[in-house]
Amino acid sequence: MSDEKLIRIFEQMLRIRRFEEGVFELHTAGAFGGHYHLYIGQEATGAAVINALKGIDPIFSTHRNHGHAIARGIEPEAAFAEILGKASGSQGGRGGTFHLADPEVAMPHTSALVGGAVPLAAGAALAAKQNRTGAVAVALFGDGCFEEGVVYETLNLARMWQLPVMFICENNTPGALAKAKGGNNTSNLPDGRVADTPRALKIKTFEVDGSDAIAVSELMVECRKICAEKSQPIFVEAFTERWPGNMYSFPSMVTGMTDFGILNEVGVEKKEHSEWFDKGDPVLTLARVLLKKNLMNFSEITALNKRVIDEINQAKERALAAPEPALESFSEFVLVEEAQS
Amino acid sequence: MTLMSYGEAVVDALYTSMKEDPTVTLIWGSLTGVGGQSPLVAKIKEEFSDRILHPPISEAGMAGIAAGAAMSGLRPILPFGTASFMLRAWDQIVHEAGSVHYMSNGKARAPIVFHGVHGLRGGGGPQHSLSPQAMLWNNPGIEIVLPSSPADARGLLRSAIRSNNPTVVLDHQRLTKVEGDVPEGDFIVPFGRADIKRVGKDITIVAASLQVKAAISAAEKLVSEGIDLEVIDLRSLVPLDEETILQSVAKTGRLIVADETPMRCSIASEVIVTVCEKGLDFLKSPPVRINRRHGHIPTNLAMEEHGLPSVQRIVAAAKSLAV
Repeated sequence: MSDEKLIRIFEQMLRIRRFEEGVFELHTAGAFGGHYHLYIGQEATGAAVINALKGIDPIFSTHRNHGHAIARGIEPEAAFAEILGKASGSQGGRGGTFHLADPEVAMPHTSALVGGAVPLAAGAALAAKQNRTGAVAVALFGDGCFEEGVVYETLNLARMWQLPVMFICENNTPGALAKAKGGNNTSNLPDGRVADTPRALKIKTFEVDGSDAIAVSELMVECRKICAEKSQPIFVEAFTERWPGNMYSFPSMVTGMTDFGILNEVGVEKKEHSEWFDKGDPVLTLARVLLKKNLMNFSEITALNKRVIDEINQAKERALAAPEPALESFSEFVLVEEAQS
Repeated sequence: MTLMSYGEAVVDALYTSMKEDPTVTLIWGSLTGVGGQSPLVAKIKEEFSDRILHPPISEAGMAGIAAGAAMSGLRPILPFGTASFMLRAWDQIVHEAGSVHYMSNGKARAPIVFHGVHGLRGGGGPQHSLSPQAMLWNNPGIEIVLPSSPADARGLLRSAIRSNNPTVVLDHQRLTKVEGDVPEGDFIVPFGRADIKRVGKDITIVAASLQVKAAISAAEKLVSEGIDLEVIDLRSLVPLDEETILQSVAKTGRLIVADETPMRCSIASEVIVTVCEKGLDFLKSPPVRINRRHGHIPTNLAMEEHGLPSVQRIVAAAKSLAV
């Protein structure tokens, strides 16, 4: 893969990270209520998968969708505004954190129901196949979806009908050690992994280290090619490190705001969560790769970081200042009201 | 006009719609359960074979796929066969197809036809006799259509396929062989227009689907008693034609609703409360609900028949109101 593409993916991952830290700050400040989920720790998968797509390829995501939405091209300001329930949000405040989507950037609908995205993506693939658009549809979902029956039904249907759909399972279940420390399970599966199920249904299946942006990116370019050219489903199980802040029902910034200074800390005494800082964090991991390959130096990383932070902070401030939707609009868009086509 | 059966009219609408719009795609379940007797079935299979998909028994998966396809440029028709099976895809119908237009702030849409054969069918028993129209009505974002005649079956199905909303079309097994004159060509029946199937002056009877037929039979029986029923066929629940109902009740002052769904939160309940809210002064006597009797549907045929709203029950209700 080209150096430019790798740097672009890094920038996208960093944007997602800073966005999610911004969401955490907003929730902590009470700017929006309710439950929410952060994508921290999975940036490499989302950014690399979406970078391998064409603009026409629709993606369908889950309750943990912020990273996918930013990578797909929803502007951070529209995403913040949506999470805050503002009129200027990507869906005018009707979707919120669980449902970031925008058909205009090929993200038609985000289902917060476990497994919900999976058949929708297969349906978009059916439309692409029938209408010969050349698009490949993508479902991004967690390992917990394999607790739902509709996922099995969809895999079978997609294989029977040879639909051009890529099922990307981001397996973010915590390891045994983290579970022993009280971490939340993301799924209850005998093997802690899912790839054998699509294999049993004769779907071409790959497993990849989801925190390795280069590996995911190279695999996905190949997968998109197979999926489009042969019109067949592809299944990818991407194993991601579970961010320690996601171990609880509500996200917690136990690892602090991401600090690239840690890259220069040689021989410093081990911090708490050192595993995360040394190996788990995909943003720091890719930064180390870029430094090692001399694709970016430390001051360039710092400068990029500052630019992204400024961009995100401005987006956040504008979203906070945006107006609320008009209460009288409550009953708009229940049905398409225009004359029948 | 062509004389055809209800089932033939359904198949005719399907053929016409697939012919005029190449995005109409049939996820072939058992629409043949309605229109199997039509020679057009073979023609559809042959002419549109690249737009007919043969699914495994996976209602939730199929409905989710139909929803995703509809969001992405297809117009899928998904027949569940027996409407009872829609419950297996409730999540996809209600939460995915039914919510996407609203949740996207009007940017996305899901033009799907979900089709099912509802109601008592002769030995269907507790798990194959569902009339899901009332429980569907409690969900925003879904159009609901219930034809009662061959002409309406053709015209309403064509509207459903053209609609940009998820639309549930429910046919009744006992109507499929009913014959009637059907307009040809571009004929459609728009949603939200109830049809006065019989003009009368004494009592308004509101019904849908098979119960329209029962109401008309009851009206004929009551002629000799000197009671003149006005029969209103709702045709679509969403959108609901409140105006036609209210105008009729303003004229007759008396209201019966015959409805195959269980009574609580039923179509009858909703129609009557609408009249009470907007036309209480029109009513000269309390309105009457005639619903499926309380209980599950037993497989025993006599018991099943006993549970269905009947001509006799409508006649008895009309006589008691006319006193």
